Amino acid sequence: MVTLEFHDPSGSTEVTRPHAPRLPTLEGKRIGFVSNEQWQAYRMLPRLKALLEADFPGIEVLPIDAFPQGNAVIGSEETAALVKASGVDAVIVGNAA
Amino acid sequence: MTTNAVAGLGLAPDAAMVTFPIEMFLPGSDISPLEARKREFYDGLTGWRSALAGNGASAAPMIRVEGTSVEDALARANHLMLANRWGDGLPLWPPTAARVDWMLRGAAQPRRHRLGTFPPRGGVTTVESCAIALAMAGGRPEYLPVLVAAVDAFLDPASGSEQLQAASGSAFPVVIVNGPIGAQIRLNAGFGCLGPDPQRPAGASIGRALRLLQQNVGGALPGLGTMANYGGMRYTNVVFAEDEASLPPGWAPHGSERHGFGPGTSSLSLVFANGVTNIRRRGAKKETPEEDALQGMHRMAAFMRVPNMAGLAGYEHGAPGILMIPGVVAQTMAGLGWTKASMREFLWEHSRIPAEQLRRAGCPAWIEIDASKVARDSLAQDPWPITASADNFVIVVAGGGHPTNSYWLQGYSPGVVGRPLEVPPSFDGLLAEAERDLGPR
Repeated sequence: MVTLEFHDPSGSTEVTRPHAPRLPTLEGKRIGFVSNEQWQAYRMLPRLKALLEADFPGIEVLPIDAFPQGNAVIGSEETAALVKASGVDAVIVGNAA
Repeated sequence: MTTNAVAGLGLAPDAAMVTFPIEMFLPGSDISPLEARKREFYDGLTGWRSALAGNGASAAPMIRVEGTSVEDALARANHLMLANRWGDGLPLWPPTAARVDWMLRGAAQPRRHRLGTFPPRGGVTTVESCAIALAMAGGRPEYLPVLVAAVDAFLDPASGSEQLQAASGSAFPVVIVNGPIGAQIRLNAGFGCLGPDPQRPAGASIGRALRLLQQNVGGALPGLGTMANYGGMRYTNVVFAEDEASLPPGWAPHGSERHGFGPGTSSLSLVFANGVTNIRRRGAKKETPEEDALQGMHRMAAFMRVPNMAGLAGYEHGAPGILMIPGVVAQTMAGLGWTKASMREFLWEHSRIPAEQLRRAGCPAWIEIDASKVARDSLAQDPWPITASADNFVIVVAGGGHPTNSYWLQGYSPGVVGRPLEVPPSFDGLLAEAERDLGPR
């Protein structure tokens, strides 16, 4: 028998930070959208907003344009700071890629 | 795709994500599936937990394959690499410890030297990672300095690789090498410099290794980690040397012009492109030398004057493309008083697009949402320049000594990143071994 032993070329990855903790419930929470404004986001995200508002008493869902929109800005530190300052409990990031 | 979307950020490689077929994202689509699956959104905000949470790096193990003969073991190793999505469909050298150690003789840095994390998957990328990819690609140790520098440039945020690795535009890296190392390691600068050449195989191996890193460490698998529609040029990318021996007097090498490297410095420049085409440059009848040059310049500029928004990706700091002209053309153009700078100015002025053409092609919408204020403000200009500055055009003297054609690599490059090349103290010995193995240069 001939044996070949070789490196796994995919290398290693590392986990340096945890995902954000989830909410115990959506009732009475404040939810925001961070939108790239593409791929029918202008239709889908308002629909999702309406669904959330219909299903969870006391929920506040911010308008989809509450934060800067567009691929060029949604990943910026400035947008992240605005989201934090808004006091939302969670955000939904959309839409597609 | 989910893995790539978050792992590159240092998060566990899963995420609360609700995915739908692409049809739902098209104009006029039926978005009712959104309501049917609303509970998945709610769960993502509440009950979802990462199944892969943990800390620290997960090291990749060595792989073991057995066969009844060398040929059988080699075949099994290749099958395994394809099954694990580590290959490109062409035969691979298994990156054994011995072969990787051989590649590492070309390293100027320690094997564990970290170059960064490869987007979008976030794979930890070291000099050893490069040596493994180069081994698989059939490379040689004297190629490693170019590959390591190319990876370092690729991982520079200014290159735009974080976006382009996963984007649909099928961008591929173009590596332009300047300085003596090009000829030393047999990088082609002449006839067929972008294609296979058994006596100058370095570009194919280096470019293939870079591609394997993009896929294996970076996670850019077709349709999974990268949405590149077509994926052109993704077997070997593009790696070539400028034909510096044919530069006319007064014409500086690309590395000096764009990055300020001193003449004679071995360096590279990394640019992203997503298209390649030949442009017929010379005339066919009784043109004077001046007419021949000017008509060729107009043909090239006209080819660039297309409202497809390719140059928008690097409007401010990148490149609308790379124009390759052969040395014999450069000599003729220089004799008529042209310089690289005056050619760039000409191309910039004559590739402008009338605003009406932009409008009817729907381009203003793309320009208005661009991240660059310079790009957004450019809409006020009529005709519209395809890039912010003439200096953004990359002109390189390369290709066979024949005057008929020039080559245009359509840019898709937020930046143009340069790197000086470092070689190990034993580099001359590696070149001598290459001479022994491959024959005289």
